[in-house]
Amino acid sequence: MVSECTACGYLAYPPRLLCPGCGGSSWRPRPAGAGVATEVTVRRPVFERRQLPSGEWVEEEPTRLGAVSTEGGVRIIARLEAGIEAGGRVALVRRDGVAVAVEGS
Amino acid sequence: MSAGSEARIVGAAEATYERHPAPERETETFIAEAVVAALADAGIEHGEVDGYGVASFSLAPDHAIDLTWKLGLTVNWLMEDTNGGASGVNMLQHAVRAIEAGDAETIVLSSGDRLDKRDFHLMTDSYNKAVRDYLARLPLSGPNALFAFITERYGAAHGLEREDFACVPIAQRAWATMNPGAAYREPLTLEEYLDSVPVAPPLGRYDCVPIVSGGDAIVVTSAERAARLGRPSVGVRAIRALYNPDHQDGNGIETGFSTIRDDLWAAAGVRPEDVGAAFVYDDYPVMVLVQLADLGLIPDGDVKRYLHRTLLEGRWPVNTSGGQLSAGQAGAAGGMHGLVEAIRQLLGRAGERQVEGLELALATGYGMVLYSHGACHNAAVLERHS
Ligand SMILES: [Zn+2]
Repeated sequence: MVSECTACGYLAYPPRLLCPGCGGSSWRPRPAGAGVATEVTVRRPVFERRQLPSGEWVEEEPTRLGAVSTEGGVRIIARLEAGIEAGGRVALVRRDGVAVAVEGS
Repeated sequence: MSAGSEARIVGAAEATYERHPAPERETETFIAEAVVAALADAGIEHGEVDGYGVASFSLAPDHAIDLTWKLGLTVNWLMEDTNGGASGVNMLQHAVRAIEAGDAETIVLSSGDRLDKRDFHLMTDSYNKAVRDYLARLPLSGPNALFAFITERYGAAHGLEREDFACVPIAQRAWATMNPGAAYREPLTLEEYLDSVPVAPPLGRYDCVPIVSGGDAIVVTSAERAARLGRPSVGVRAIRALYNPDHQDGNGIETGFSTIRDDLWAAAGVRPEDVGAAFVYDDYPVMVLVQLADLGLIPDGDVKRYLHRTLLEGRWPVNTSGGQLSAGQAGAAGGMHGLVEAIRQLLGRAGERQVEGLELALATGYGMVLYSHGACHNAAVLERHS
């Protein structure tokens, strides 16, 4: 989900307090929709284990990540499902509390 | 800021960067060492300091006033900066104005962080609310992947391959061989660069700053006080800054530096080709190129030629400490690392790597990735006063 300014239509992700376009403070949620994975990488962990802000330690795994340009003109950093390459059309869904790009339009 | 302000930088120093700090060496330990060393470098007494500024990610629960107390200072001017890679030039901009206005006469600006594995992840995963809530659980663990995208984008726009980006860390490592304070001092070959461990392709190990602990500090005072020291000093011809120019909607390769470029050089009263060295924020090789190009130091726009001819073969001085890519990134001290080296060079105290006859230099700050790229841009044109 992205946030759309009800006054001027500016799309924000992550959300803002005031709109950079018009200064307005009224937003409505809108689906992020489809897009294109413009750049793709496989992030290797800096360290093998990682402590979350909650204090919990998790093992680090390589993660496929991409920059996704949506049709609405927002750039969203997303985890990529297997098989998505640079230039591929994707749909964005929210999973595990983060943006995930899945195949499809 | 008009050319020839009435403030002078008279000292600069670094607490030795450490890759594996002992448990008792805290952030404030590194900052204190840098402050002591900078005052010694300046030839200024501890009791003369009447202004203090500090930038750090890991002072909590302490703040600037706690450091003021622990450092035994009493001051008329106090500043805490939270702008990471842009903190050094930002504090300098404010300090120069304070001295010109008479609010303080002698200001010490400092920065530092102790970062071990746990600190690093807590810092990067909780960098701001947007990172914590929208990126940390991807997982992201620091900005490597984001700058992989930016590198990919910039490479596509300028026809650059890994062999081309390699020129930045290789050239900087050649300078680092002459800097005893750099974490990595062995010459770097193209083969080593190309064969290095991938971090987030196209970025490999040598495209990413080594994480270190350390501190940096500089001393700024009035022109009058500087004259009584009877030694060379460094003046600030101009500082320009731009924060959050694109609300993170941009592509990260067209930056706020291009917006401030003309005003910076006009205010400084010199042209980009007049500077003899540049000290640009080097969190990643691509950002070195973006800043040099956006600030007018690659006038023909031929980045590939600049990389091979000017930087690698010509050894034109960029980040002569080895930069953060060789010396290491000590958290917020990274925002002062280039400034410290610029001052050392302009004061003629850079040892074996001294750039002869240096009169004018450029130092920049960049950083604070809000979501997809840095939001802070600032640049200073610095001048030697003999
Ligand atoms: Zn609006």
